[in-house]
Amino acid sequence: MTLAPVDYLILSLYFAFVLGIGWIVKRKVATSEDFLTSGRSVPVWITSLAFIAANLGAQEVIGMCASGAKYGIMTAHFYWIGAVPAMLFVGVFMMPFYYGSRARSVPEYLKLRFDEKTRALNACSFAVMTVFSSGISMYALGLLFQLVLGWSFTASVLLSAAIVLIYTFLGGLTSAIYNEVLQFFLIVLGFAPLAIMSVLKAGGWSGMSQRLPPVMTHAWSYLKDPSQNPMGVEIFGLVAGLGFVLSFGYWCTDFLVVQRAMAAESMSAARRTPLIAAFPKMIMPFIVIVPGVAALALSKMALGYALPVKADGGPDYDQAMTTLMAQFYPSGMLGLGLTALMASFMSGMAGNVTAFNTVWTYDLYQGYIRKHAPDSHYLMVARFTTVVGVGLSVGTAYLASHFNNIMDFLQLVFGFVNAPLFATFLLGMFWKRATGHGAFTGLLAGTLAAAATHGLTLAENKGGWLGAVVHSFPSTMAQNFWIAIFAWSTCLVVTILVSLLSRPKAEAELRNLVYGLTDIPHDADLPWYKRPLPLAAVVIVALVILNFIFW
Amino acid sequence: MRDLRIPIGLFFSLAGVILAVTGLVTENRAPLETVNVDLYSGLSILVFGGLLLWLARRSF
Repeated sequence: MTLAPVDYLILSLYFAFVLGIGWIVKRKVATSEDFLTSGRSVPVWITSLAFIAANLGAQEVIGMCASGAKYGIMTAHFYWIGAVPAMLFVGVFMMPFYYGSRARSVPEYLKLRFDEKTRALNACSFAVMTVFSSGISMYALGLLFQLVLGWSFTASVLLSAAIVLIYTFLGGLTSAIYNEVLQFFLIVLGFAPLAIMSVLKAGGWSGMSQRLPPVMTHAWSYLKDPSQNPMGVEIFGLVAGLGFVLSFGYWCTDFLVVQRAMAAESMSAARRTPLIAAFPKMIMPFIVIVPGVAALALSKMALGYALPVKADGGPDYDQAMTTLMAQFYPSGMLGLGLTALMASFMSGMAGNVTAFNTVWTYDLYQGYIRKHAPDSHYLMVARFTTVVGVGLSVGTAYLASHFNNIMDFLQLVFGFVNAPLFATFLLGMFWKRATGHGAFTGLLAGTLAAAATHGLTLAENKGGWLGAVVHSFPSTMAQNFWIAIFAWSTCLVVTILVSLLSRPKAEAELRNLVYGLTDIPHDADLPWYKRPLPLAAVVIVALVILNFIFW
Repeated sequence: MRDLRIPIGLFFSLAGVILAVTGLVTENRAPLETVNVDLYSGLSILVFGGLLLWLARRSF
């Protein structure tokens, strides 16, 4: 793939606007809260789009298209079952506690609700995890641009890191959020033409259904048994593992996304943020997954298009998106498509950096290193942390390029740490008897349970390191879902048991932190589209219709 | 910043014009597509950018 001057013109135009937005926003930053929490003043349409854009990294876009080609429309479960219900839950049920507690971060909520050690555990694992995932996605992008465009790995990593650094350094979270909105529109407008053209070329949805095995064009029909579908999962593992534990664990507790909603201008706006975000989230499969399915259909037609082959002889699904772009986009539109990829990558990275920044500055630095400094000191620390965060991400990207095994191992460990989290938050928010000791031991036990499940089971030669193999899964995806289910259940049970044995917090200390001791805002006099429950109902109806269409 | 719709609308209007002009003055075609992709997507993106600018202007 070679780029023409017009492609570089569009890419430069985008860089100019991103930096310009950072420059303009800079004037609004006077305090550390402006920089790290946007001073809780962002309008709801902006926080909603940022809510999904922060998660919509380049790895996600490329990976979802690849999964579309590999697993078919079933991949949409990662959006429909694996995101939307959790987004509704966090908006309707959890946001009153996050926003109402006046906590500045998710770990800080844990400190208010439970105790210092639970906060420290969550803050440390989150800080390390965000830096690593930012570095890993940077590595993936560097590799991709090297492969597709022949750009040097160092040049693309350093250029994008420098731009993210400048605009987040200037305007902090507001700048990151504003740019995420630009990036969101760019991803939609840059990839929608590809989806439309590739599907039309493959003969529309009906043409694709004829050319592909039926399992590729049905989302639910082949889930009775893992042997029926290429994902190797069955309905319970999918719904409970992905749809409940993993998805609620991510969308309801991960500070990267929750931070966007907490930046909203009011409680009502914070609650509506994930609900409004659910609408574009439901549509995203048509832009990122369907082209992958179309790519597979196109490769079965006599058009001269084929998925590239990997060294081991299998198809390289990760190149589905970029090869489609080369086939359907002339110079000009190609530039816009690549700009969209670059944008999705940068929005993912800026999201990680800003979340890391807040947790480091408020939870770790102010919490444990210097407690009572003037605000200007924390603003300075926050700006400096932006530089450190970007630097660490770049370092991780290089580490990943040299020691791929270490990265795989770390991602595995992070999975163990994340799996039980939602049980802790669920009990913390809805059961006032849950205690700090309970939460802390529950989290540790859940993480151990996750590791033990991995060590005792085998899937595609992964796991089984504890010696005895109790069960074999048909795929690592099924294994991951079940690891999550066991980790969550263990955390739930241990937290309840230890809580019952330890002394609860006084009710006065739990005000605005727990269900039953928090005033849920009255909104009956607002029009329906400004109220969480009617909005959530509309989302559910749309979600059910979508799933029926692609049954 | 008074309204985020202004910079975003401006960006897409400019990108749309660049694409549409490219589509008009060149014969760029992708391997699998005979339609003038640059012209039509450029015009659609220009409409989107213009819409954002119009919405921002209306709310003053």
